[in-house]
Amino acid sequence: MTNLDWTLLTFTLLFIIVYGVYKNHKDKNIDGYLLGNQSLPWYHVGLSVMATQASAITFLSTTGQGFDDGMRFVQFYFGLPLAMIVLCVTFIPIFHRLKVYTAYEYLEKRFDGKVRVFTAFLFLIQRGLSTGISIYAPSIILSTIFGWDIFWTNILMGGMVLTYTVVGGTKAISYTHLQQMIVITVAMVLAGVIVVMMLPENIGLVKALKIAGKANHTNVVSFDFNPKDRYNLWSGLIGGFFLQLSYFGTDQSQVGRYLTGESITQSRLGLVMNGLLKIPMQFLILLVGVLVFVFYQYNASPVFFNKVETDKLRTSQYAPEFAAIEKQYNEVSEKRKQLLISSDNLDNQQLEVYKSSLHASDSVAKSLKGQVVNLIKKNNPSASTNDRDFVFLRFVLDHLPHGLIGLLIAVIFAASMGSIASAYNSLAATSVVDVYRKFSKNTPSEKAELNASKVSTIIWGLFCIFVAQYANQLGNMIEVVNVLGSLFYGIILGVFLVAFYFKNIGGTATFWAAVISQAIILGIGIPQVILKKEWIAYLWFNPIGCFLVIGIAWAWQKKIGIRA
Amino acid sequence: MKSKEVKPNTEASGEAPPFLKTWNNVYALVIISLVASIVLFYAFTLYFA
Repeated sequence: MTNLDWTLLTFTLLFIIVYGVYKNHKDKNIDGYLLGNQSLPWYHVGLSVMATQASAITFLSTTGQGFDDGMRFVQFYFGLPLAMIVLCVTFIPIFHRLKVYTAYEYLEKRFDGKVRVFTAFLFLIQRGLSTGISIYAPSIILSTIFGWDIFWTNILMGGMVLTYTVVGGTKAISYTHLQQMIVITVAMVLAGVIVVMMLPENIGLVKALKIAGKANHTNVVSFDFNPKDRYNLWSGLIGGFFLQLSYFGTDQSQVGRYLTGESITQSRLGLVMNGLLKIPMQFLILLVGVLVFVFYQYNASPVFFNKVETDKLRTSQYAPEFAAIEKQYNEVSEKRKQLLISSDNLDNQQLEVYKSSLHASDSVAKSLKGQVVNLIKKNNPSASTNDRDFVFLRFVLDHLPHGLIGLLIAVIFAASMGSIASAYNSLAATSVVDVYRKFSKNTPSEKAELNASKVSTIIWGLFCIFVAQYANQLGNMIEVVNVLGSLFYGIILGVFLVAFYFKNIGGTATFWAAVISQAIILGIGIPQVILKKEWIAYLWFNPIGCFLVIGIAWAWQKKIGIRA
Repeated sequence: MKSKEVKPNTEASGEAPPFLKTWNNVYALVIISLVASIVLFYAFTLYFA
């Protein structure tokens, strides 16, 4: 990073923080702190909803996903527009009409306290763990740039956003989301254009995508139905629909965003905007990852993208072994590049030979990478062996022009700050409104609640920083966050759907249905996570969990509820 | 119950959107955009495969 990068990085971040705090400095009550006084227009709501979902994970991990697995991850978002419609029709009018602070408040009005507290508890566990992983993402950047230990960068990043959230509150977050999304869009488009410009002269965007296509990186849509396959049209439309409906409808980090809308219409339009723009945005980010993949077909790529770990290896007792592997890897990369250059105008028979040669060199490269991972593990048993999340960052730092590096790093930081701050805020809101207020002997004063919100934000902030310290053991961040969400979201959604659509089912039946369903989903999901084997792709946990709650609650009400 | 007292929102939830006249038209736009995206992505997959 040069002085220009540092200047742009510092200026962008300072502007976002100062502007957000300035816009919010008059909010002295809990309405302002948690709901932004319900005063925001639709485009702020829409951008805020999008920015809350667009964390550093989106930019680091989604591009890494595109690099490693191609474009098919975009199918994950196919259910989102449909979920937005259901939210606009059902959820928004109810939440607005009841003027709730959190989604779970509604459950007490509809059922009873135990359903509300249990659902809020599931949300708090899930969101607390996911936010820890979200802190880890920008910590990677700090760690890579400065070479600092990830333990300290987790504390620095988590602490910085914690301060920002406690000082600013929801409105500050929402106001800065507008700036963040503008800078994010501009920077990602620029990054994509520059990657194409950096390819060899005779290779434009179309040819680059054809090269990616030869490596199966341009398969966006698959109609094959396979429950073990994570991403296809059906898992995206059905599983994704339930996941997104639950995430946007019942996760306080999102409900809190659109409840800041000044009316039902403004909140609805904000979600419609998200439904229209989210898929193209994710497509663009994955495309950048695929273009980075093509770039590394023509340029030397690191054998392992996490520079902090490879730098440690270079100064360890394993340095000679690492150097030998690196040399072999560079030779394989060069061979691969020559193969690629000679692959123009091949007939079908030659194309088959080309593909098998490419496959062979890929296998060798993979084996060499495996050897490096083993060395890293030997050198540092607690080191992360997943480097997919480091690909884009390494590319930015090694190859993009100065100035843009600073801007992109600022964008990723800003996105992280926005999404982590939203999560802190939602954790605090749920803790205060659904736990503190509910279990207080006397009705707390406005000032006491505001103070409790801030204390709760700090406690959750510390918990998330603690979780971040273990995030490197879990794998690709964007998938881990969604797997984690899928273990809980289906159940929470099921509770809300029973509340909305099954008026004859009561609180006890719903509570026990949620407890039993959660036990079943965890019983299936946790062994899959531990054994790293999938019998059911994680997106299907969402509809399964949801229907389990509805089915068990219905049966319970019919058999036991009537007698009770 | 200690939760905040319910204050019914005075605004009618049936308020028309600022464009496309009805909410059903707005939702139809979202669905058309999704279908168009899937069709375009499928064409993209076939073209570059």
